[in-house]
Amino acid sequence: MDALWLSMKLAACVATILLLLGMPVAYWLAYSNWRGKFLLESVVALPLVLPPTVLGFYALVAMGPRGPLGKLWIALFGHGLAFTFAGLILASVLYSFPFAVQPLIASFESVDRKLLDASAVLGAGSLRTFWRVILPLSLPGVVTAIVLSFAHTLGEFGVVLMVGGNLAGVTRTVSIDIFDRVQSLEYGEANRMALLLLMISFAVLSVVYAVNRRVWTPWAAKS
Amino acid sequence: MLTAQIRKERRSAGAPSFVLDVSLEVSPGITILFGPSGAGKSTLLDCIAGLAHPDTGRMVAGGEVLFDSAAGIDLPAQKRRIAYVFQTLALFPHLTAEENVAYGLSALNESRRRKRVGEILSAFHVQDLRKKKPGEISGGEKQRIALARSLVTEPRVLLLDEPLTGLDAKLKSAIVDDLRAWNAANRIPILYVTHSREEVDALGERVIAIDNGHVVSAGTPMDVLDAPRRKRLAQAAGFENLLEGTVLDLRETDGVMRVRLENTACEIEVPLGFAAAGDRVRVAIRAGDILLATEQPRGLSARNIIEGRIASLEPRGTMVIARVDCGVPFSVHVTPGAVRALELAAGRRVWLVMKTHSCHLVE
Amino acid sequence: MTNQKSVWLRLLKLPSLLTVLLLAQGGVRGQGKEVRIAAAADLKFAMEELAGQFEKQTGTKVDVTYGSSGNFFSQLQNGAPFDLFFSADIDYPKKLEAAGLAEPGTLYEYAVGRIVIWTPADAKVDVVKEGWRALLDERVQKIAIANPEHAPYGRAAVGAMQKAGIYDQVKAKLVYGENISQAAQFVQSGNAQAGIIALSLAILPPMNDGKRWGIPAELHAPIVQGAIVLRNAKNKGTALAFLEFVKSDAGRALLSKYGFAASRKK
Repeated sequence: MDALWLSMKLAACVATILLLLGMPVAYWLAYSNWRGKFLLESVVALPLVLPPTVLGFYALVAMGPRGPLGKLWIALFGHGLAFTFAGLILASVLYSFPFAVQPLIASFESVDRKLLDASAVLGAGSLRTFWRVILPLSLPGVVTAIVLSFAHTLGEFGVVLMVGGNLAGVTRTVSIDIFDRVQSLEYGEANRMALLLLMISFAVLSVVYAVNRRVWTPWAAKS
Repeated sequence: MLTAQIRKERRSAGAPSFVLDVSLEVSPGITILFGPSGAGKSTLLDCIAGLAHPDTGRMVAGGEVLFDSAAGIDLPAQKRRIAYVFQTLALFPHLTAEENVAYGLSALNESRRRKRVGEILSAFHVQDLRKKKPGEISGGEKQRIALARSLVTEPRVLLLDEPLTGLDAKLKSAIVDDLRAWNAANRIPILYVTHSREEVDALGERVIAIDNGHVVSAGTPMDVLDAPRRKRLAQAAGFENLLEGTVLDLRETDGVMRVRLENTACEIEVPLGFAAAGDRVRVAIRAGDILLATEQPRGLSARNIIEGRIASLEPRGTMVIARVDCGVPFSVHVTPGAVRALELAAGRRVWLVMKTHSCHLVE
Repeated sequence: MTNQKSVWLRLLKLPSLLTVLLLAQGGVRGQGKEVRIAAAADLKFAMEELAGQFEKQTGTKVDVTYGSSGNFFSQLQNGAPFDLFFSADIDYPKKLEAAGLAEPGTLYEYAVGRIVIWTPADAKVDVVKEGWRALLDERVQKIAIANPEHAPYGRAAVGAMQKAGIYDQVKAKLVYGENISQAAQFVQSGNAQAGIIALSLAILPPMNDGKRWGIPAELHAPIVQGAIVLRNAKNKGTALAFLEFVKSDAGRALLSKYGFAASRKK
């Protein structure tokens, strides 16, 4: 079904982008010792507590022709960012950011620092140390980050509602579609889609807990 | 050759600041860095390796300047070619022994790398373990692999931070033999940190004693450890009895002084030291240097004979620790055979016999 | 039926006023001095003034929740604790009545909605001059309307565009807001260059300084807005009193002021 496929596509794109963006941020937060680090940590965790509609609203304004992002996009592509799949990706990346970054931080921090010292002493630079030591030993965290960003985006509603414009095949994700059905009193159809979404989300989450032997909570920020 | 003159201050909230201020020279061969916990040994090694940064100073290894605060040189750890084996060994748990050892050789091509890895694994007698992961390898062999990993890179200096803790004596000496053999072929300075007296004796080439951030003495093990100057060093070096006392008088011609032990009427004779009558001093005596007599001895050359009562007898492996109360507690080592022959028991009146030169003054 | 209803409603005026006065003294059993209303989003400003005046006159507290009529309909079906429902589409109150969830005889058509094409004041196209043609302009890349699947204003917008013969040409440019408020938000933020929204929204700040063109009423099915009292209203008395007030001349004048055309029925 169109909407479900769209949601999956969105979730996959967002999870990938978040992994690429999240790793450098998580690396920096895990290993640096800057005094103001707590500020960045709070900013990263913000989407956890902000209502999605608030985030969506500000995203809408930023994407508009008067907002910084909107101006840039129009200059580059000739049309606005709202009501596009790209716009959804952007808003979702912001919204699911902590779901990717926090498990990565936890995983990176759990790597024995002495291993990093050993790697340095054996002549490896930071990049090589990351690739050959940190990453392989953080695999559970990476998997968790991917799966959680995927699942979180799959279920997203508020942000998509604010900036999507409900265009079939472009921005009408499955959560919007279900809501529409309810609004139109088509309860049977709504039920069907909701059930399908529930089963997929459950399957996805089961993967996380099967892969990770330790239970990890997304709210355990670094102390 | 490794030379280092560095100063590093570590300030932490609530605790007095700790200053590491050392100047040392390490020539090819094994040099022991000996000192109690907290003396600054690990910090020193970290500075040499480039994992910690001194405030001021200069370090040179193999002719290359590693660190020079005046000239603004601080080579990163990656470029120093200094091998460092940590106490925890830090073997990469997700790589096999072979991959661990090959880790520092990424600059070499495949075949040369394989050859070097094979050679060093053989040199340390762990070729059969090449495909195993550290989790599947027992202690002793883990140490060998850690050593192999560090040495395969042909470093300028090897730093070892208590690498053999937890191993039994036989394993230790086997590993040390292999290390020595390797060192004979590759003459680089090896700095071996330990706080264990036995290891010093076993490895004993040169010893640098360090305490509270400063080098206290340097020389042969005998020099450094048999006449410890500082209390913490003395305890580390195995002087079980540390007694406080006051100098009564000095006898320069005899080369001795008389000291009254605190809280008692006991007087003992110790070698002449830098003190004046009335000064408070600390005397260190090894439990193994004290003789026990069940009758008041006569006609002995020993100048110190003190009466006391046995407070307890504690068997410890091949010997018995007798705690004797002479107004001040003493620990004395006797053999189980002696305990039986003399029918020693708690409460028994005994005399302790100590030679003048078994008593050492410490700070 | 209609005549009977009108007569009955007129007859109720006096006793209702009396009831209100009695209630104002707070002595009647089970009726508090408040009424809870679910109102369509586009009624916001009109309802605020209506509520304010009613409160002043009777001392009854009026508690209004604004939202999408479709949402309220679902909630009311599941027992949401409202006393009065002002829907943007009379269809919903009708359904409630059919399901036996409404107080019989209280269905009231309170207004007929009107739609306009709206652009911000600094828009490059001039709707006032161009009317429908403005939507065809290539500078208008996105047109926001309420979702026609469940919003009557959205349906009316689509109907009007079809009747005006431009629907097929602008179909691809349409974006759908959850309700007309969200559609207005899309245009206001600049993300859509034009939108079709309710007149009642367009004449109020912050939209009132934009440019608008009234869409002729005959181009679309009337957007009949209806109200009803709920059967298990806790404050039935006050609800009925409020409905009476809305029906009064004062109430109707107020609604008209806010862009709600008078209902076709009296």
